Amino acid sequence: MNAISRLTVAGLAGLAAALAFVPAYAQQQDVVFLSTQLRPIEEAQKVREVILKGFPGKVTYLVEEPPQFDVRMRAEGQAGRRTVSLAGALHGELSALQPSGDLQAIDDIAAKVKDRGIPANLMELGRFGTGKQVYIPWMQATYIMVANKKALQYLPPGADIDSLTYDQLEAWGKAMTDKAGKRLIGFPAGPKGLMPRFFEGYLYPSFTGGVVTTFRSPEAEQMWTKFAALWKYVTPNSTSYDFMQEPLMGEEVWVAFDHVARVKEALVQMPQDFVTFPAPAGPKGRGYMPVIAGLAIPTGAPNRDGAVALIEHLTKPQTQIVTAAEVGFFPVVKAELPADLSPGIKLIASAVAKTQNAPDALPALLPVGLADKGGEFNKVYFDAFQRIVLRGEPVKEVLEAQAGVLKGIMEATKAPCWAPDKPSQGACPVQ
Amino acid sequence: MKTVRRLVYATGVVALCAWVLVPIYFITLGAFGGRAGVFKWPKGVLPGETFSFAAMDTFLRIEGVAHAAFNSVIAASICMALSIALGAPAGYALARYSFPGQNLYRLLILLTRAFPLAILALPLTVIFIRVGLYDTPVGVALIHTALALPFAALISSSLFMGIPRELEEAAWVFGCSRVQAFRKIVLPLALPGIAATAIFAFVISWNEVFAASILTVRERTLTAYLLTVLSESPLHFRFAGGFLLIVPSIAFIFAVRKYLFAMWGIANR
Repeated sequence: MNAISRLTVAGLAGLAAALAFVPAYAQQQDVVFLSTQLRPIEEAQKVREVILKGFPGKVTYLVEEPPQFDVRMRAEGQAGRRTVSLAGALHGELSALQPSGDLQAIDDIAAKVKDRGIPANLMELGRFGTGKQVYIPWMQATYIMVANKKALQYLPPGADIDSLTYDQLEAWGKAMTDKAGKRLIGFPAGPKGLMPRFFEGYLYPSFTGGVVTTFRSPEAEQMWTKFAALWKYVTPNSTSYDFMQEPLMGEEVWVAFDHVARVKEALVQMPQDFVTFPAPAGPKGRGYMPVIAGLAIPTGAPNRDGAVALIEHLTKPQTQIVTAAEVGFFPVVKAELPADLSPGIKLIASAVAKTQNAPDALPALLPVGLADKGGEFNKVYFDAFQRIVLRGEPVKEVLEAQAGVLKGIMEATKAPCWAPDKPSQGACPVQ
Repeated sequence: MKTVRRLVYATGVVALCAWVLVPIYFITLGAFGGRAGVFKWPKGVLPGETFSFAAMDTFLRIEGVAHAAFNSVIAASICMALSIALGAPAGYALARYSFPGQNLYRLLILLTRAFPLAILALPLTVIFIRVGLYDTPVGVALIHTALALPFAALISSSLFMGIPRELEEAAWVFGCSRVQAFRKIVLPLALPGIAATAIFAFVISWNEVFAASILTVRERTLTAYLLTVLSESPLHFRFAGGFLLIVPSIAFIFAVRKYLFAMWGIANR
């Protein structure tokens, strides 16, 4: 009897305490800044303690994973009660919210930050082809390769690490596997890894010069055969890696490809152990994918003025430099990075610069105009990879089947081609 | 022969203990081993020279951790109270009365677990915002109750079935009303099991992440608050966070272990 009454008392006390708590949150006049970026604990703290420090108002910086972010933004819109005043997310995550009208037009802010020197093509991305500014570019990043210095001795003779080809990467992998007895190349092909971006921004452009139109071209068939051959030297644990920094630090892999934010930890902690370099090149060039995060204001934001001020603060050159130095995302505005960056950030910056300035660089944009079908689009590429490389199914058959799915997505969204595919009238065709 | 049997028994005990304790031990080691300790192999028995409170300290200093912990306790307590208040009577009805559609009802209870929360998330959140439960621990507790209720009802129904009906009938014969018989005879016997069910509800609520993070903005529960930042943080932080999350559950279960064993006793009879 005693225990049950104790449980009841505990429950009732909790209930009372909770009810007393309900109205407390509604009174704060802060800017709720919800972000899918800079989520890891140290980075979120950097945002709160360093990047937002010079901002006069009070900001509640909250982080959330993309699926929850999407649900929350839609739900608050449908219910007509916003808590979020400013949303910071990747281009693709924001583009999914644009058709439902959850993001308001912010042309007035675009005019305000005009003198910041944000490149016109980035501002253009923020309009999603609607003619109205939907987000203001916030920061950018890309993908790089990282190698443990122990791996350098196995580089194939004559290979320059800053202008590797996929053939040389394969030879390098073979040499490491033969001499060290382990498969030491790693890719982030885990459930939350960014592997699809490797296919869309690196492998396909480098080998076929396109992403969608060339999906089942003869070049694509050769490419998959080649990549399957390279995979023999890639550690089988790759299918469980989401972030490459831990396997790099633990020396499970010596050579890895990943988003800069996902190798940063390794480079910052042990800068003396690693080198960074651009992703390899294929017959059509050195494909690479710039990643853009943007700032958008939800429709009906409770504190629009605060959000506008916060956008102005975050796009200031000084803030952008601090952001680069603290969390390794690079400025979208005109800003000179200081020479005294920490060694880890310097490693990232140099690889990014080498990628962008490579003579054979072939920029591949993030998918544009897919709205909420971005996830399905990624799945087409990842499924092709799983079937061809991991399960060894015949290349041609798989590409035919997946091309059908891809075609369906492109026709449903009517998305025109984006670089490096040639511009199209209407939906981007799968040839 | 006897020594062999004893040896097998001891091996089994050691293996089962290791099954539970070794992961907890490694988590503890990771939590206090500092950044370098995580990648050290082989691991020492103690964190040794890399010992540091840095990761734990960072966690405890993150603004909002205490508040989130408070929210977690509130949500879990309400969930526990509601699951028992609704689940135990339902279980009693299933065990003692036969009514048409009884089996269907049994099935329907489980059906609440048949829909993935991810699909329900959007409409659910919209309704919660409209009703005003959005971003409150009470709202989170209600969802957690919905998740815990099927288990509460089914566990307590098997519990009541295990208590002989004759005892209750005897009480009626001696002049007890139905309610009195329940209170004086059945409840004391079922209490350990009900307590165990309560623990179960508590743990379900404590560990649930998805609903808790979608339905709250500022009033996060500890699990939702930490896990969103945890899964992508450096390993030693993950260990520290994991350590912080398991310690309360272990402490809670340890505190009420008496009732748990009692329930197993009933199940064995």
